[in-house]
Amino acid sequence: MSSRAPVVYIVDDDASIRDALSLLVKEEGFRVESFKNASGFLEFKHLKRPSCLILDIKLPDINGLELQEIMEERGIFIPIIFITGHGNIPMSVKGIKGGAVDFLPKPITEKKLIKAVGEAISKHKTLRKKQAEIESIRQRIDTLTPREKEVFELVAREMLSKQIASRLGTSLQTIKVHRARVMKKMEAENLRELIRLARKAGIIPPLK
Amino acid sequence: MNGRAKSRTGKIKMKEKKKSAKQSAENKIRNKEIQRQADELKIKNGLLKNGAEKQLEFEEQIHILTKALASIDEGIFIIDIRKPDFPVIYANRAFQKMTAHSKKEILSRNYFHLYGNKMDSSILDKIKEAIKKKKSAAGMMLEFQENGAKHWNLLRITPVKGAGDGVTHYIGIQTDITPIKEKEQEIVRQRESLLHVTRVGKLAEFVSSLAHEINQPLTSILSYAQASRRMLAGKEPEIEEILSHIISDNQRAAQVIKRLRSLLKKSEPEMKFLDINEVVRETTELISTDASVRKVSVTLALESALPPVKGDRIQLQQVLLNLISNSFDALEKTKSARKILLRTSLKGSGSIIAEVKDTGCGIPEENMPKLSKRFFTSKADGLGMGLSISRSIVREHGGSLEIENNKGRGVTVSFTLPAGENNNP
Repeated sequence: MSSRAPVVYIVDDDASIRDALSLLVKEEGFRVESFKNASGFLEFKHLKRPSCLILDIKLPDINGLELQEIMEERGIFIPIIFITGHGNIPMSVKGIKGGAVDFLPKPITEKKLIKAVGEAISKHKTLRKKQAEIESIRQRIDTLTPREKEVFELVAREMLSKQIASRLGTSLQTIKVHRARVMKKMEAENLRELIRLARKAGIIPPLK
Repeated sequence: MNGRAKSRTGKIKMKEKKKSAKQSAENKIRNKEIQRQADELKIKNGLLKNGAEKQLEFEEQIHILTKALASIDEGIFIIDIRKPDFPVIYANRAFQKMTAHSKKEILSRNYFHLYGNKMDSSILDKIKEAIKKKKSAAGMMLEFQENGAKHWNLLRITPVKGAGDGVTHYIGIQTDITPIKEKEQEIVRQRESLLHVTRVGKLAEFVSSLAHEINQPLTSILSYAQASRRMLAGKEPEIEEILSHIISDNQRAAQVIKRLRSLLKKSEPEMKFLDINEVVRETTELISTDASVRKVSVTLALESALPPVKGDRIQLQQVLLNLISNSFDALEKTKSARKILLRTSLKGSGSIIAEVKDTGCGIPEENMPKLSKRFFTSKADGLGMGLSISRSIVREHGGSLEIENNKGRGVTVSFTLPAGENNNP
């Protein structure tokens, strides 16, 4: 197991199931962290690695769907694989709508489990990549002065420098200077790239 | 006129006087006699008149009696038992209709031949036996009509004494109690089907719990076996084969449980707007026999004009039946008054509350927290499912169930149901 191996979190109140699933998942080369209840998982300092959560729907403290809601509220975007002893259909529909990757009825066959874990982790990888990019854009935005931020937004809205100057009540020359600094600080090579960054950072609305 | 003539005439006058005096005396006697005879006639006349009136009254009475017997819905007949073949000497219209025989066919025929073989004969044997002993008798008679319809009759016969001392006749009254009997059977049927639903519900709940308990270790066994097979990674083919057997047998067991579950899947409740009072009354009807056998008095205190509740009639009946039957058990050993009170009322914020209150043995405080647990029971033959099923039904209806010991004797179990908005349930 490499030290950068993806993490599989397991939350199930049944110790044997926790142990057996851990063994199986570890065999696949993942790092495993397991918990007997939801609060144990929430209190844990989640590792900054591609991860997924194998979650029993029925837990002693709060049920799996409630945990899913809390994770969303707290911004923990780890994909969830629900495991259930009942195969309760209305519940699974609700879980999938809430962003669960899969719903596996107990007993779980290794093939299905490994496949689900693989999908969940690759989903998390993509998510993390997006998040990392947004994070880096935000960091770049943070280096802008308030006036540069204003110029950035208006440029991203595809306004001409002349229009921006009259809007902000300053000279065209000043705007051109600001604009060049924004391009440099944002590490954008051209206007198109700058607009893309603004969109990703949520400064302008996303494309439909 | 001269003196002689005067005296003669005087003599004659005297004679006449004497004569008329004699006559008047005779007349008096005669008149008295006539008067006496007239009085006598009067009395006789009076007596006769009286007699005639009485006769009239009597006739009228007979007329009314005959009319009453003819128009009554009960079949009435009279048998003469002095004759060896017990002929029917009177049969009213209702009896003719019940036996489907004309008056002509019935009269002077042997009573016991009237029914033919349309019914079970045990009641007729009972009647024969009673007549032999000159006693009265009563019994139920199930009669089959030609169109296959069943008729339940209640038959009573009473001996009638004639002019002498001995019993000369029997009067029989036959009442068609088919509607009552059908109502009774309907109640029994409803009760049985509700009990069936309850039993199936209990079984389903039991199987579901059992399935869950078994499924958990099956899950870990499967994962353990699959993990070890991976660990071996082709190094120990024999052990791997054994592991494969464990895996396939495990899946076989999981399949059995899955099938069992789908077999006992709870049917979707049929939610409709209901009058909770009606549901309570229906349930009370179902347990009325049970209550009287157990000497428990069941009282209703139902608030009128309650808004409807949205629910499944059978499931709500099941809840009430469960709670009432718990109360019955709690009252089993109660020496003082055995009472159950069923109450409904409106609770402030748009919910309806139904209560089952008993004067039974109550619940020991230490058992109170365990009541919500499945499989907890204080009864020797209990499964511990009744209350937990009731609770989950109430919860599915959007209400809650509470249990409380009364200040005096017994327990009150109450549950709430959200009041519906539909005013025309």
